[in-house]
Amino acid sequence: MPTSTPASPSTASGAGRNGEPVYQVRGMARIYGEGTAAVTALAGVDLDLFAGELIVLLGASGSGKSTLLNQLGGLDSPTSGALRYRGRDLAGMDEAALTLFRRDAVGFVFQAYNLIPSLTARENVALITEICRDPMAPEEALAMVDLADRLDHFPAQLSGGEQQRVAIARAIAKRPEVLLCDEPTGALDVHTGITVLEAIERINRDLGTLAVIITHNAILADMADRVFTLSDGRIVHARENATRGAVRDLAW
Amino acid sequence: MSMLDRKLRRDLRALLTQALAVALVMACGLAMMIMTRSLILSLSTTRDEYYSGNRFAEVFARLKRAPHSVEAELSAIPGVAQVETGIAVQVTLDVPGLAEPAVGLINSLPERGEPRLNRLHVRAGRLPEGRASRGELAVGEAFAEAHGLRPGDTISALLNGTKETFRISGIVLSPEFVFEAPPGAALPDNRTYGVFWMPYRELATAFQLYGAFNSVALTLAPGASEGGVIAALNRILQSYGGRGAYGRIDHPSHRRLDDEIRILEGLAIAFPLVFLSVAAFMTNSVMSRQIALQREQIAMLKACGFSNRQIGAHYFKFSLGIVAAGVVLGAAGGIVLGGLLVDMYHLFFRFPSLEFRVDYGVLGLAAAVSAAAAFTGVAGAVRRAVRLPPAEAMRPEPPARYRPSLFERFGFARWSGPSLRMAFRNIQRRPVRSALTCLALALATGILIVPNSFRDGIAYVIDFQWDVIQRQTVTLSLVEPGPERGLHDFRHLPGVVRAEPFRFVQVELKSGAITRRLLLQGLPAEGTLSRVIDAQPRQLRLPERGIIMSAKLAEVMRLQPGDTVVARVLEGRDREIELPVVGLAEDFAGTAAYMERHALNRLMLEGDRISGAHVVVDKARWGEFVAAVKETPRIGGCMIKDALRDGFRKTTAESIGLLQKIYSFFATVVAFGIIYNSARISLSERARELATLRVLGFTRGEVGAVLVGELVILTLVALPLGLLIGSVFAAGIITTVNTETVRLPLVLTPANYAFAVLVVATASVLSAVFAARKLAEIDLVSALKVAD
Repeated sequence: MPTSTPASPSTASGAGRNGEPVYQVRGMARIYGEGTAAVTALAGVDLDLFAGELIVLLGASGSGKSTLLNQLGGLDSPTSGALRYRGRDLAGMDEAALTLFRRDAVGFVFQAYNLIPSLTARENVALITEICRDPMAPEEALAMVDLADRLDHFPAQLSGGEQQRVAIARAIAKRPEVLLCDEPTGALDVHTGITVLEAIERINRDLGTLAVIITHNAILADMADRVFTLSDGRIVHARENATRGAVRDLAW
Repeated sequence: MSMLDRKLRRDLRALLTQALAVALVMACGLAMMIMTRSLILSLSTTRDEYYSGNRFAEVFARLKRAPHSVEAELSAIPGVAQVETGIAVQVTLDVPGLAEPAVGLINSLPERGEPRLNRLHVRAGRLPEGRASRGELAVGEAFAEAHGLRPGDTISALLNGTKETFRISGIVLSPEFVFEAPPGAALPDNRTYGVFWMPYRELATAFQLYGAFNSVALTLAPGASEGGVIAALNRILQSYGGRGAYGRIDHPSHRRLDDEIRILEGLAIAFPLVFLSVAAFMTNSVMSRQIALQREQIAMLKACGFSNRQIGAHYFKFSLGIVAAGVVLGAAGGIVLGGLLVDMYHLFFRFPSLEFRVDYGVLGLAAAVSAAAAFTGVAGAVRRAVRLPPAEAMRPEPPARYRPSLFERFGFARWSGPSLRMAFRNIQRRPVRSALTCLALALATGILIVPNSFRDGIAYVIDFQWDVIQRQTVTLSLVEPGPERGLHDFRHLPGVVRAEPFRFVQVELKSGAITRRLLLQGLPAEGTLSRVIDAQPRQLRLPERGIIMSAKLAEVMRLQPGDTVVARVLEGRDREIELPVVGLAEDFAGTAAYMERHALNRLMLEGDRISGAHVVVDKARWGEFVAAVKETPRIGGCMIKDALRDGFRKTTAESIGLLQKIYSFFATVVAFGIIYNSARISLSERARELATLRVLGFTRGEVGAVLVGELVILTLVALPLGLLIGSVFAAGIITTVNTETVRLPLVLTPANYAFAVLVVATASVLSAVFAARKLAEIDLVSALKVAD
């Protein structure tokens, strides 16, 4: 049975896990705009994330979960607080350093897939493998998401689930340490959603990649090692599953 | 090929028609630039090579008569490299098949060997040489071609009162007569004026000039001062009836060639520049749109670790693809057109061979300029795109803020349906984009005005020069100036209805350091045939004192009415007279100076003398008239106005006309390109919105009306603006055709404006039809799902 506790820095920090955390977040805040127009998207987040974990971030629209993901992925920089990735200070990095960080360490999966429509599945993956240090072959990455037979199809010729799996293949082909998924099933039906989540889970398990999934769908919590719930820019609840539920048993 | 390049190739293919439209506009500008610059290069290098290869002289002088011994004196002038002396005489010709008399200029050839200077190029046959050469002459190619003369044919000439028949030994070219036209004439008339060469002995004997010369040509030593040599030459020749030496700049053939190059130089810059700016603007609008459409792709690339530089380079390459297509098309077009056009110059300019030479320097420069223009056009859009934080770019663009348009607030809404209302709101929502589209449409309208104003300017010149100024049928000139009673003889020629005398005197006008040699025309105070017209235009009365000159002549000599000009008389006694400038005359071909005839006679210290008369001839008795003129030995020249006008039409008018047609074609292509592109961009920007309307139940017609309505509104605003822009362009560009040989007035006709409006309207309708058809192809469901 999963154990559930109210949020506290110690649990949110994952105290008791072995090894150095991949991410170490302390008092991180992100405020957009200035003065009276200022909007606080994150209001002090503390978090430790470890290699091989599968994390689910839950929260309603506007809770700050996408902002948190953007900070973790180096798409945005926090206004205050500490954000460390393997001991390196992400918050203080400039644009060029962040670009390299994203290129080498992070795989993104977006809700809207964001494939290049003029490139085939294989080419969409190859687009990324061309610029990173130690990629797998695009064909191999696509095989891992069960798309070995759809290599030369253009996005318009693929279903939504297939497009999202191409996006996952694109994200993992660089062998990232972190896989960040923003509502990966948001645009998909249950059955297709399951195949996509299975792909993410398999990669997390087989490659030991830290996977962070943000969703507003609480049912996905069962497949996670740990689940954090955000509200108004804070982690309001944290829970740890003793055992991860099988993805195919999820239903919504 | 990298995946980004593969994406680039496929994106370009998807945008093919639009990219092609931009590339075509660019190509038009480049083609014009390469064509004109290459023509300039061809003409100037051919000229320079011909001049140096055939030893074209640098200073020229005519005189009455000097013994050969003077030649040594001339050679001794410091700064003179080589001297060539000879005889040049004007004769009346009787050409088989030509009703009216023609004038020939016969030059002597040295008795032995080739001339040191101004060497001839033999096109056909041979030079009249050796003992057998008696009764032979060589003829200039332009005249030979006009009359179909070939070696072996014969021609009669009146040599010093004796009619003699000559056999043509060959057809030749001379660097002195690249432009074969009578002295003082802006236009060639190859039917009634020809240049000939025959051996010195025979020519000199006929004119009792044996052992003497009446023309000098010389070259300068390196570093010598032309002015100094001319002054020394004038001093020596003064006692031999020298008529004033002059340099190449005053040499009629050289100057005409120079002027042509100057006209081309004007056209090579201004017009292509307009096209290239339009192309840069179009590249910008296409690229801005493309980048806006790919906003999410850019965000994804950034999220995945592509650097700003890589993404920027990708879109720069995109525009480079367009530029490359434009440069290739433009270079090919310019080279092909230039190659065709260069043949046209055979009409005016006689070179041994005028080969088309591509100005590769300009081609490279043009490519660089277009690339730079396109890059500047794209830079802003790329910078905006890469600056956008990826997380933000990933979200769809926030919906634009709409509000009721001004048009509605003024209360017109009652009469407009929702389609028109939407069209107005769209225009107002994006004022900058709308203004830019409007500007593009205005430019499309404007560039159509320029070429046709050339055509109208030429038509005006033809009317003005040969109907307003010159109303005579024929200008008859005497071999030697004679007493006024000779006018009676002209009046009694068969068919002559009216005759007005003139006295023409070769003069050199001087104002400060600037000198010009021309025929000072002494005319009746208020003649009815050859008239002096001002810019109004109204006829000017020639005063008893003073000189009236072409406004252009006054401009180059920096004179104004009230100033004084010095006229050095180049015939009879050498004297200098100060003349007040009392008025400015308007003319477009060549320059002229006028005086009242009796006043001129007084200045010449001569009685009532005339050089000839302008006459009106009854067309019914034309044959009789011409026959009588041919039989009158005292008449040395006969210029038929219609022949001159035809000459102008066939040469200057045709060459400018051909350029005008090419430019007009380009302008039409560009106008279509701009408008089509605007419609395409507007369609792509709004595909989703329009599809939404269709889903909501709007008919295809109603949705089309939104799109077309917008284009129509913008076109209506753009048209008057475009006509204004076009008029300004035309004024700016046409005034570059402003040389002493030919000038073009700015003439803007309703027909010209109507043509521009018609082309733009047609292009708009066709683009609208196209957009409406594209609209029908929009897949409603997919258009609503995801933006592409």
